[in-house]
Amino acid sequence: MLSYIARRVALTVPTLLLVMVAVFALIHLIPGDPAQLMLGDAADDATLSQLRQHLGLDRPLTVQFARWLLNVVHGDFGHSITNGLPVLPLLLERIQVSGTIILAAVTLATLIAVPAGLIAAWKQNQTVDVAIVAGATLLLSIPSFWLGLLLMLQFGLKLGWLPVVGYVPLSENFSEGLLYLLLPIATLVMIESGILTRMSRASAIDVLRLEYVTHARAKGVSESQVLRRHVFPNAFGPTLTMIGVILGNLLGGIAVLETVFTLPGIGRLLVDAIYARDYPVVQGVMLLTALTYVFINLIIDLCYPIFDPRVTT
Amino acid sequence: MIFNRSIAFALSVGLVALFVQVSLAYAQDGSALRVRLSSDIRSTDPGTNRDDNTDAVVLHMVEGLVALREDTSVGPMLASKIVASSDGLRYTFTLRDGVKFHNGAPLTAADVVWSWKRYLDPATGWRCLPEFDGRGMTKVLAVEATNPKTVVFKLERPTSLFLTTMARTDCGGAGILHSSSLDSDGRWKQPVGTGPYKFGQWKKGQYIDLVRFENYASLNGPRDGYTGGKKAEVEKVHFMVIPDEIAGKTALYAGAIDVFPEVRSADIAEIQKKPQVKIEVAPAMDMYAFLIQTRDPVLKDVRIRRALALSLDLPAITEAVTEGVCQPNSSAIPSSSMYYSTVQRLGYRRDIAQAKRLLADAGYNGEPIKMITNKRHSESFDSAVLAQAMAAEAGIRIDLEVLDWATQLDRYTKGKYQTMAFIYSARLDPSLSYEMISGPKSTQPRKVWDDSLVQEKLAESTRSSDRAKRQVLFDELHRKMLEDVPFIVLFNSVDAVGLRANVVGYKSWAPAKPRLWNVHL
Repeated sequence: MLSYIARRVALTVPTLLLVMVAVFALIHLIPGDPAQLMLGDAADDATLSQLRQHLGLDRPLTVQFARWLLNVVHGDFGHSITNGLPVLPLLLERIQVSGTIILAAVTLATLIAVPAGLIAAWKQNQTVDVAIVAGATLLLSIPSFWLGLLLMLQFGLKLGWLPVVGYVPLSENFSEGLLYLLLPIATLVMIESGILTRMSRASAIDVLRLEYVTHARAKGVSESQVLRRHVFPNAFGPTLTMIGVILGNLLGGIAVLETVFTLPGIGRLLVDAIYARDYPVVQGVMLLTALTYVFINLIIDLCYPIFDPRVTT
Repeated sequence: MIFNRSIAFALSVGLVALFVQVSLAYAQDGSALRVRLSSDIRSTDPGTNRDDNTDAVVLHMVEGLVALREDTSVGPMLASKIVASSDGLRYTFTLRDGVKFHNGAPLTAADVVWSWKRYLDPATGWRCLPEFDGRGMTKVLAVEATNPKTVVFKLERPTSLFLTTMARTDCGGAGILHSSSLDSDGRWKQPVGTGPYKFGQWKKGQYIDLVRFENYASLNGPRDGYTGGKKAEVEKVHFMVIPDEIAGKTALYAGAIDVFPEVRSADIAEIQKKPQVKIEVAPAMDMYAFLIQTRDPVLKDVRIRRALALSLDLPAITEAVTEGVCQPNSSAIPSSSMYYSTVQRLGYRRDIAQAKRLLADAGYNGEPIKMITNKRHSESFDSAVLAQAMAAEAGIRIDLEVLDWATQLDRYTKGKYQTMAFIYSARLDPSLSYEMISGPKSTQPRKVWDDSLVQEKLAESTRSSDRAKRQVLFDELHRKMLEDVPFIVLFNSVDAVGLRANVVGYKSWAPAKPRLWNVHL
């Protein structure tokens, strides 16, 4: 097991290096730079070049990249061009916000979607199945920002139950912080449970058709036991893969929701940094996202044997 | 079953408790004014790492020797008297009595010298340094304290823009700072200025709090731009970073914020209809325009540029994209300027037949003309779409290219475009308005109007302080601009600010920056 983990971790090094080169190249290929944005419509050549020199943007790209990479290896992600803050603490602060929302939402979505999918598969083509599938399809068809705005208008503006803007860290005041997170988490739960329900249902239908399920039923095992002991463990693999994919995608995809709910998360940080051409922050976010993605996939891979003994490490 | 009911009851009680707690937490007690910021500020250092939001926040904490008045002319702020020598090379500022910094220290001439020495040091990265180090309008040769209350500025050459540039918001109003604004290593810490609010807390990406400066020494009289009487009537100003427009509006309607600056023209009617909310509108000085690349193979022919101008119904574009809120203006000088004369009102009148004749004379055969636009400024994008349709009636083919703002700015700076729908930030003096468009393209590709005669007249306007003489020069420039068509001005926008109904004393104004003194709930 340990050698498997070591092998997987070692394999991430070239992946991360590739990500870093690609991100660095792409962000610098986009026209416009932070100096231009800072000076706006009054940017003359002399002032621009002076500011670029001040920001270290006048050096050749290869030098800039090598310097950044060397610093990253030493744990220094540089400083934000926008506000001068060190990038690493900024990333760690922001990922806590996004991580809390994503983990809570995906956990809740899984708890709702997996049983719903199993029930739908078990009652295939019956009213319950049709209702669950229709609900799931509706949810996964709604853009997250739109659903978020609807919830905000209903619970924040009309009913006045929940705050519409702002953020309080859970570590500062748990109950108040939770209220600020309820709407974004609810939005994500609704969206992601749609996808997971469809996946869970599809794999459960496949398993329900297998001979050992028929055999278990013939032996007189109750339907609930069939579902819990035979169908769920064998059908959960594909859903687990999907959970991994969702967790990874949300790291980047949550930006829209964070903007709508004014949450200081990693997604909003990335979007703001791209618009501001804040290169160190963009590179830092992408590196952290890639690292997290790789880590999540490793965890998911290591979980497979729990649900399917045929899978070995 | 009983167990389930108990859990449900406990959960309900818990949720109600949470709602009550939060309701109390964000209940408004009148001590804080909550203001939306469309993006976080970049720093608290005046005029260095800045943008519009940064200037707006910082100018509550710092003040310069002079400041903008309500009509955008320049008046004394920390100075009680300003005397310019007859040759315009020496300015003597007498400081006001009783002014204190946020740390309690009295304002002295030594603080002015220290602040200006810092601004004039290239290491500070002051945005306006080129205007004062000889590259731009003049060179400050010396800033000297002749006594604790008097400071003398010596200039290399005279300019009518010296005080105006000092007061510019993007220069941070050349705010006078106490040396304790820097740490012992000389690095920026936080602004210790003389403004009515002092620095409270900045939670990056979330909010910035300013707190009332109890020992603020206000000028007498009513509010007057960035000068005049200032009274911090609320204990705290809480600027909240809310990038999303809809989230911001929802927050205003829900009472989660009190002030919503930068309301888009298209949203004004919606906000006016809402209960518990009102809106303040004043003409602003930024400028929406179509820039034309006069070096382009097609557009270098003035007949084609003129045909484009004549194909557009500029009042109709203005009416449509601003919902009738803004007035069309074909002049580079904002309509709120004191130099906006009857001559400046002259503009292009739509004439499709004449446009077609000009195009035929120029041999235009429907060659596509690319117009760059962006969606960050929706009025800019909408104007481009309408222009495309209107120009087509005259036989001009315009293809739109939608870019993000940073990319468009890059193309603008390099002059790499045929036409673009662009927005210029506010310029407070007509010389500055013409300076932003006029200059040699060979060294400054961003300039749209490259004409040596124009540059001479512009230079003359910066040297003269005689208002009548300057007016004549600006009128000549406007007539010449209409002939040459280097760009087509559409309109100046408005400073529209959404307010909760209980906000009293807020006033919009031409520079479109929130001023939160003399405002209470």
